[in-house]
Amino acid sequence: MTSTYYDSDKARRPLVSEIQNIWINRSLIRLIVGRDLTVRYKRSILGVWWTFLNPLLTTGVMWIVFGQFFRFEIDGGATPYIVYLLSGILLITYFAQATLAAGSAIVNSAGVLTKVYVPPEVFSFSAAAAAAANFMISLIILLVVQLVTGVGIPWTLVLVPIPVVAMLALTAGLGLLIASAAVRFFDVIDFTGVLIQAISYLTPTFYPLSIVPDSWLWLIRLNPLYSYLSVFRAWVYQGTMPAAWSFTYMMLTAVVALALGVWVFSRSWKSLVVVL
Amino acid sequence: MSDPAIQVEHASLAYRLARSSSGTAKEYVIQLMKRQVSYEQLWALSDVSFMVHDGEVLGIVGPNGAGKSTLMKMLARVLPPTDGRVVVRGSVAPMIELGAGFNTELTGFENIVMYGTLLGRTPQLMRDRAEEIAAWADLSDYLDVPIRSYSSGMLARLGFSVATDTEPDVLIVDEVLSVGDAAFQQKSSERMRKMIANGASVVLVSHNLDTVRAIANRAIWLDRGKIVSEGDPEEVVGEYERSVS
Repeated sequence: MTSTYYDSDKARRPLVSEIQNIWINRSLIRLIVGRDLTVRYKRSILGVWWTFLNPLLTTGVMWIVFGQFFRFEIDGGATPYIVYLLSGILLITYFAQATLAAGSAIVNSAGVLTKVYVPPEVFSFSAAAAAAANFMISLIILLVVQLVTGVGIPWTLVLVPIPVVAMLALTAGLGLLIASAAVRFFDVIDFTGVLIQAISYLTPTFYPLSIVPDSWLWLIRLNPLYSYLSVFRAWVYQGTMPAAWSFTYMMLTAVVALALGVWVFSRSWKSLVVVL
Repeated sequence: MSDPAIQVEHASLAYRLARSSSGTAKEYVIQLMKRQVSYEQLWALSDVSFMVHDGEVLGIVGPNGAGKSTLMKMLARVLPPTDGRVVVRGSVAPMIELGAGFNTELTGFENIVMYGTLLGRTPQLMRDRAEEIAAWADLSDYLDVPIRSYSSGMLARLGFSVATDTEPDVLIVDEVLSVGDAAFQQKSSERMRKMIANGASVVLVSHNLDTVRAIANRAIWLDRGKIVSEGDPEEVVGEYERSVS
């Protein structure tokens, strides 16, 4: 049963309608997230262990190359490189997965969207939320590594959901922007993959900020992902408060991306659905 | 008289066809520079107006490509009208290409919950109803089996059973009356009749003209997106039949 009163003339109120739709459909979103998490690994031997294995393999190789060959040191050796590296990789993976999944969710759900009425933004949001859930699960290995290496788990861990939710807003917004274009042109998704890789290298995930020449620091600072990573690292293992500007920049980009994505998407949906 | 369950006012719907179809942004930009992008508006529906009152059964007939399915999707809220207005009052059961969102890796039970929730019911209600929904479709033994091992007939039965599990105010039916074997067809048309008897408004698309004659109390003949005639099903269907033969 869809809603009990439908008037095509009743204009969607941009932003307000979308947020209402997310709230109204929250049980559907929960269901889709659960399905995404289970279906992904259903026919594999390792099952949900892939969530751990994937970042562990990447981290292992990068630890050998950059930790042992290049001998990167963090905070003058005070922070174990593996903790720095793993925290960076996990957050970047979350960003990449969420953005790509949210961007392709509309096209992938065409089979549903052309048959029953469901607010389309629900699918982008669910895809980003599934990536967030995946990230929360994979956080366990980081915490284990923190304990093993003697870094410990600071009380600020309870604040980590803040950057996680900010990232959810950022990726859902970017995803809707990408989706608006991807419905017409399939290669937008491929292009996004390339862009994500580029911006990942501009984020200090595996190299210390100290190796960046002063003349290039502005580029790193401009990159929103750096602010997310700074806030995340401060709370997940450093046990300190992040720089005020990092936090502000993170919140600002999250809100702007979400608002922009929703606005562009809701304006173009009417012309998108007929080509879906 | 109360407000009609369905109100369609001068509704039109255009599909935009790129003449030189460019599937990728790169091609699009190249063609844009060469000024080769030209869009063709294909009006699947133009200036369609009608009403359906409570308890009425409206049959829609017409050749392939007349815009019948587009109209159904517009009533189901899937396609917003390009021009004009559509108002639907009451809960809607869209029976268009049943089984939207079925996932082959999930079990019958999981798919019942997902499909029902996509149709706007709560997951809790669907979990409670799943046993009965499966029983009605003769699929009780397969509830915990991934539906990739279902036959197409079983899938269709499951879809129908979920879609018709609750009694809607408005039923939008696009060629789904021929689901399953003879016994199931009997059962499903009985269920439809019961819904109609209980006062549901129905819009029905069918190429089976006898079905339209039998159930509809009004009919519309649609051709190339326009209403050719509207009125008594016997007359409208007759007119349409003479035009094709």
